Amino acid sequence: MVRVVKSTIVDAPVEAVWDVLRDFNGHDRWHPIVRDSHIEKGQASDRIGCVRRFHLQDGSELREQLLTLSDADMAFSYCLLDTPVPLLNYVAHVRLSPVTDGDRTFWLWESRFDTPAGREQELRVMVAENVYQSGIDAIRTLVEVRP
Amino acid sequence: MPRVYVSSVIDAPAARVWERVRDFNGLPRWVPAVRDSRIENGEASDRIGCVRDFHLQNGDRLREKLLGLSDYDLFCTYSILESPMPLTDYVATLRLTPVTDGDRTFAEWTAEFDCAEAEAEGLVTGIGRDVFQAAFSSLKRQMAG
Repeated sequence: MVRVVKSTIVDAPVEAVWDVLRDFNGHDRWHPIVRDSHIEKGQASDRIGCVRRFHLQDGSELREQLLTLSDADMAFSYCLLDTPVPLLNYVAHVRLSPVTDGDRTFWLWESRFDTPAGREQELRVMVAENVYQSGIDAIRTLVEVRP
Repeated sequence: MPRVYVSSVIDAPAARVWERVRDFNGLPRWVPAVRDSRIENGEASDRIGCVRDFHLQNGDRLREKLLGLSDYDLFCTYSILESPMPLTDYVATLRLTPVTDGDRTFAEWTAEFDCAEAEAEGLVTGIGRDVFQAAFSSLKRQMAG
């Protein structure tokens, strides 16, 4: 089993970051690799169990299901249902915490998954850099607008 | 139940920060308000259930009991047995989480307790600012040095 952990400090209040991240269907508006996204069956994007069906810029289609969403903990988790890339048993967790010393945000994004033998390193780097790091960089640009 | 939450970012790897804070008898080395400390009954300071008996710079005496300690999850949980503060059922946790971006440390300190309603605001502010934040500020200076 592969584990990927990315964590960073964003120079914006935690409410501002959560405001962007909590919309499970909002990633096509900030993640550079996501072209379009919609929630299946017309459900609300904060309904536990809802499924987002989305396309990456390269045209591949993925489906992910919301497993947990908590406004109290500013956290959510989701799993992959369908993907052209062999990420198996993929479950990811996102959690924000306030940094009271400076009114900033701690952001943790982690996941566990299985891969076909021999592809662990390649897929770990793909998830860590192309998905998590590029997403973190995009959110940072969006919310760090202090003078 | 009043709750205190203070968090900070320390510019050093979590393993290094943990090395400094994991010793339940080590408060005088990094918390400026603490003058001296000893573990009762000559026990090891990482034995769950051990009690630290310590004095603040102003002479106040406190006794605190170690409830949980994890070298894997990097946290320490303890309760107050005796203190001059007008509170009861005080349980606090100090937790470190690595910040992979920059190899820094996210440090969180939470406490919950019971007290008279009129005392709550003063205690939350006092513990949060004068104890937890003051300790984090000292830790930041030490780790930078």
